[in-house]
Amino acid sequence: MDKAERKLALTHEQLMSIEKPARYTGGEPNSVMKDSWRLRFAMCFPDVYEIGMSHLGQQILYGLMNSYEDVWCERVFSPWTDLDALMRREHIPLFALESQDPLKDFDFIGLTLQYEMCYVNILQILELSGLALRAADREDSDPVIIGGGPCVFNTEPIADFFDIFYIGEGESCYRELFDLYLKCRDEGLSKREFLIKATAIEGMYVPCLYDVEYDEKGRLKAMYPNTPGVPEKVRKTIVKDLDGVYYPTAPVVPFIQAAQDRAVLEVMRGCIRGCRFCQAGQIYKPVRRRSPETLLRYARELIDNTGYDVISLSSLSTSDYPELKELLEGLISFCSERKINISLPSLRIDAFSLDVMNKVQDVKKNSLTFAPEAGSPRMRNVINKGLAKEDILNGAELAFRGGWNRVKLYFMLGLPGEEEEDIRAIAELCNDIAMLYYDTVPKEERKGRVNITASSSFFVPKPFTAFQWAPMDRKENFLEKAAFTKRCVREQLNQKSISYHYHDSGTTIIEGVLARGDRRLSAAIEAVYRKGAVFDAWTETFSYERWIEAFEETGTDYGDYIYRERPADELFPWDYLDCGVTKAYLYREWQRAKEAVVTPNCRDRCAGCGCTGYGVGICVGK
Amino acid sequence: MSVSARIKFGRRGPVRYLGHLDMMRYFQRCVMKCSLEAVYSEGFHPHQLLSFAYPLGVSMETDGDYADLVMKDGADAGKVKEALNSVMHEGIYVREVRILGEGTLNAMASVAAADYELFVSAEEGLQEAASRILAEKELFTAGDGKKKPKDIRPGILELRAEGSRLFMKLLSGSALNVRPADVFEGMKTYLPEESKCTLIRRLEIYGTKDGKYVPLIEM
Ligand code: SF4
Ligand code: SF4
Repeated sequence: MDKAERKLALTHEQLMSIEKPARYTGGEPNSVMKDSWRLRFAMCFPDVYEIGMSHLGQQILYGLMNSYEDVWCERVFSPWTDLDALMRREHIPLFALESQDPLKDFDFIGLTLQYEMCYVNILQILELSGLALRAADREDSDPVIIGGGPCVFNTEPIADFFDIFYIGEGESCYRELFDLYLKCRDEGLSKREFLIKATAIEGMYVPCLYDVEYDEKGRLKAMYPNTPGVPEKVRKTIVKDLDGVYYPTAPVVPFIQAAQDRAVLEVMRGCIRGCRFCQAGQIYKPVRRRSPETLLRYARELIDNTGYDVISLSSLSTSDYPELKELLEGLISFCSERKINISLPSLRIDAFSLDVMNKVQDVKKNSLTFAPEAGSPRMRNVINKGLAKEDILNGAELAFRGGWNRVKLYFMLGLPGEEEEDIRAIAELCNDIAMLYYDTVPKEERKGRVNITASSSFFVPKPFTAFQWAPMDRKENFLEKAAFTKRCVREQLNQKSISYHYHDSGTTIIEGVLARGDRRLSAAIEAVYRKGAVFDAWTETFSYERWIEAFEETGTDYGDYIYRERPADELFPWDYLDCGVTKAYLYREWQRAKEAVVTPNCRDRCAGCGCTGYGVGICVGK
Repeated sequence: MSVSARIKFGRRGPVRYLGHLDMMRYFQRCVMKCSLEAVYSEGFHPHQLLSFAYPLGVSMETDGDYADLVMKDGADAGKVKEALNSVMHEGIYVREVRILGEGTLNAMASVAAADYELFVSAEEGLQEAASRILAEKELFTAGDGKKKPKDIRPGILELRAEGSRLFMKLLSGSALNVRPADVFEGMKTYLPEESKCTLIRRLEIYGTKDGKYVPLIEM
């Protein structure tokens, strides 16, 4: 079908009455139109187009599914509040971008769960599609609602809205799931029968097939399958060989400016460093990587297929990629020949990375980034961030000599065991870096003041981290700590060179509750949605008070999810899930955190996290 | 050494909802995709030297819009057209390419007038309204807080109805720039209330040569 001849779901007048109509008209380069299929998949990203289109996972699954001849995968994003209102007023059902057909016509609706603050948008998508919010209230003829993405590592707060969660990496099992679905459909089996059979596929969690019990204090006591043949534990599924798996070298290129407007090379999955607050570091284990040859081939294909003029490298910690030098040399030579810019992720600052940055960036315009996460060396040991003060100062000194004069630093407040002196150390570290600038760069070479920007987020104890047992700070404490940080910064000698920002504390509290809650939380999520919550990830639409009201109205003791330190034997709502790392390992790490002892990274010494069972990547020396 | 290629292009269908910046980005990417020998600016972030004659409004179609692209010497018009069309499949397509002679004024500075076709929801009263407008000496736009009302009548060079469609030739450029939507607004006084314009399509952009209007591709 010709993209120029496609019909549109919205009329000309409707399109002209909303902001950025091209968010909803599709037809972009590399978007896929099909004339025949056996299965239709609507892949939804519950945020605006510009955010969703910048998400690599989305592009991977879109390309992969459309590479199957019998599947047509289309895209859906949350309609912004203007279109949302229009659709409700004029009873327009939510549609997919490619065919512009209503979502109700699809076999599957897949929802990407990228961050907790988009949960209310899931309900928006279901409702605008004309579907019942809860799985139990939907018909057999309704699409199968499947969730995937990093938030599936605690599905329970949204479990009631979904039929299946796909736990792990999308490349590995979708084909198997589709084959099963088509077979069940051919045989005329019910949705429930299909769902039961699906649990035999690695990574598939069907929430309605599990029962949950709470004790007299209202805390989780047990969770078990309620149907024969359904496994007790659901194991995360992963890709074994990154070089061999599908990669989207012809991703859809948005017409309108997306948040990430560039070709992306995914270098590695997983991270060798077990920072104790970091969920990504655990759930994507074990570390696997692509070879430089594969990546350079992808780079060429990407540019030929997209016309992007920027390439960026993506991974959790690109500095840990062993063949970085080789890769960057190849990339720099290809990119300078084709006039393409390279956007480097935040590399660890050393002589090598500075040299590379010097080649590909305008030193005057770019800043150095450090993520020490904590101010004091003791606190950095607690969180297992092996970044010594000398490393930061040495890196900064080298950079200052090279002409940089802007530094960004990222910290966290509210970490377990944090004392006043740890917070003061944040300000002192900033000051030391400023001082170093004035010591390093002679007066006549300075281009104005050194510019140091420190930002802090508030700590959330996430599932599958060593800190999952830790309590979260209260909102008042967060604000006090931020105010204290600010005061400490102002006390520094070089305070005029330092600016300090902090994240919204209300968002952090809600994020904590949604990240840690159990199945009962779905009542509050539905309640807050009914009160008009949508686009919680956006400051202009988020309301903390609305959430607190919803908790009160539904009798949700939200504080119990976040404010207490958990005993060693507490059952977590996510314990049914096997993400590779064992609870025993995480608990060991929690104890080591309390003693402020550092654990070496996977490359230096295996910490015995449990991932060897996958038999791939770094665990087996690759 | 470098030359300028003048690219005449069309856009139809759902892509009409793109903004001007989206179109620029789209063209730049197409040039990158088909490895055309474009000339790039110097500096850390080299970019193509690409400029459009006349920004296309959101929702407007075109059969004759223009962009100039600076290319390396020896560029061949036929090959440029073929290369660009090989990577455009979205309803945007190149109709013609011409390598400009030295000293040709760039497309943007050349714009003097343009032809439009408007699709109107009903045929009723259209011919009559067109004649009434042509019979008048002046036609003031509504204006708002930011813009003063201005007389666009001298800029309406041609105006006629054909069934439920309107054709107009309008003055464009810095002296007096007439937008087709403003002409239709002015006609509305003489049209049934529910009359709506559902599509505006630009047909051609003209420059002037020896006192005559000539399509930009022939300049
Ligand atoms: S380096 Fe630490 S914070 Fe960064 S991804 Fe790895 S574990 Fe997480
Ligand atoms: S098993 Fe060892 S090497 Fe493998 S991810 Fe765990 S700690 Fe790292």
